[in-house]
Amino acid sequence: MTFIEKQTDPMAPTHWRGDMQADYLYPNGVAGDKFFKYIKNNDGFLATPCKKCNKVLFPPRLYCEDCFSEIPEEDWIQVPASGTIRLFTIARINAHGKRMKEPKVMALIDIDQTDGALLGVINSKDLEKDHTGLRVRAIFRPMDQREGTLKDIINWEIIS
Amino acid sequence: MEEPKKEEIVTYPKYAPGTHVRTSDIREKKITYTWWEPEIQYAWSVGPAMSKFLQGLKEGKILGVHCHKCKRLIVPPRSFCEYCYGPTEDWVELKDTGTINTYSISYLDPNANRIEEPILIGVISIDGAYPEPMGFMHYFGEMSKDEIKIGMRVKAVWKPENEREGAITDIKYFKPLRGGEI
Repeated sequence: MTFIEKQTDPMAPTHWRGDMQADYLYPNGVAGDKFFKYIKNNDGFLATPCKKCNKVLFPPRLYCEDCFSEIPEEDWIQVPASGTIRLFTIARINAHGKRMKEPKVMALIDIDQTDGALLGVINSKDLEKDHTGLRVRAIFRPMDQREGTLKDIINWEIIS
Repeated sequence: MEEPKKEEIVTYPKYAPGTHVRTSDIREKKITYTWWEPEIQYAWSVGPAMSKFLQGLKEGKILGVHCHKCKRLIVPPRSFCEYCYGPTEDWVELKDTGTINTYSISYLDPNANRIEEPILIGVISIDGAYPEPMGFMHYFGEMSKDEIKIGMRVKAVWKPENEREGAITDIKYFKPLRGGEI
């Protein structure tokens, strides 16, 4: 089959553009709520040890994901906001797909005294350096600017 | 070879009550939450026939196209006749008048909010297109929900030329053709 009509004017409206509204609200849950409220008022984190598995779950959970046993409220512990870089990457493009003026060092940080990890931005300008294994500490926003989200951590500072 | 260890039987609570979240808990910021508005943009290629139709609307014209084999004047136009799958040909400009083929009185707006004044919406058989009914869906205006009826003669009300963008909304709505009007 051949089409008789051919598009010759590139300015003719050949595409219909639109956007979809799909905003969502995700409550952090009972354990997540406690965790973020703690960040809002303290320069540290909460973690949940599972005594059966001998594991410290981080970020905190109500149930151990391995053995499904409930973690009682009195078992919750406070841990320092520091850790060791397990792996890292250099981000050059932001969340909107635009090239950033200054690339960022993003890392997965094993949090001290726990078996969990957090993603964070490392306060480092050295893009050539191997960051794995470096010790880091979280830099929090001033108390009056905190909102109870992970954005309350500005970035992570290398301490060794 | 070593025998694999028998996995410990997992026990878990039979019933977990869960925690209710009320809208007020979120409004009053009693609980923490994550809110995100993803950017989801799309560009949908309308194809050559619909491009021409939309360009026509921008110029204040309703365009149709023929399938001579099936004796059809198709509006909105297509590149091919969906009956015989043959290519369409001979574009013509149609009048911006027609007849209400079917309609609906909607007490919900496009965002599903309840509204007091209903939206009148329906399918218009465009004059000159055949076989009838042949036409498209649009809003009706300058008439009340009690006046509207099937078979009513209507005419397009266009946006001012500088506001048209090559969209079906370049026609604001169809108004009734009252006695004597052409």
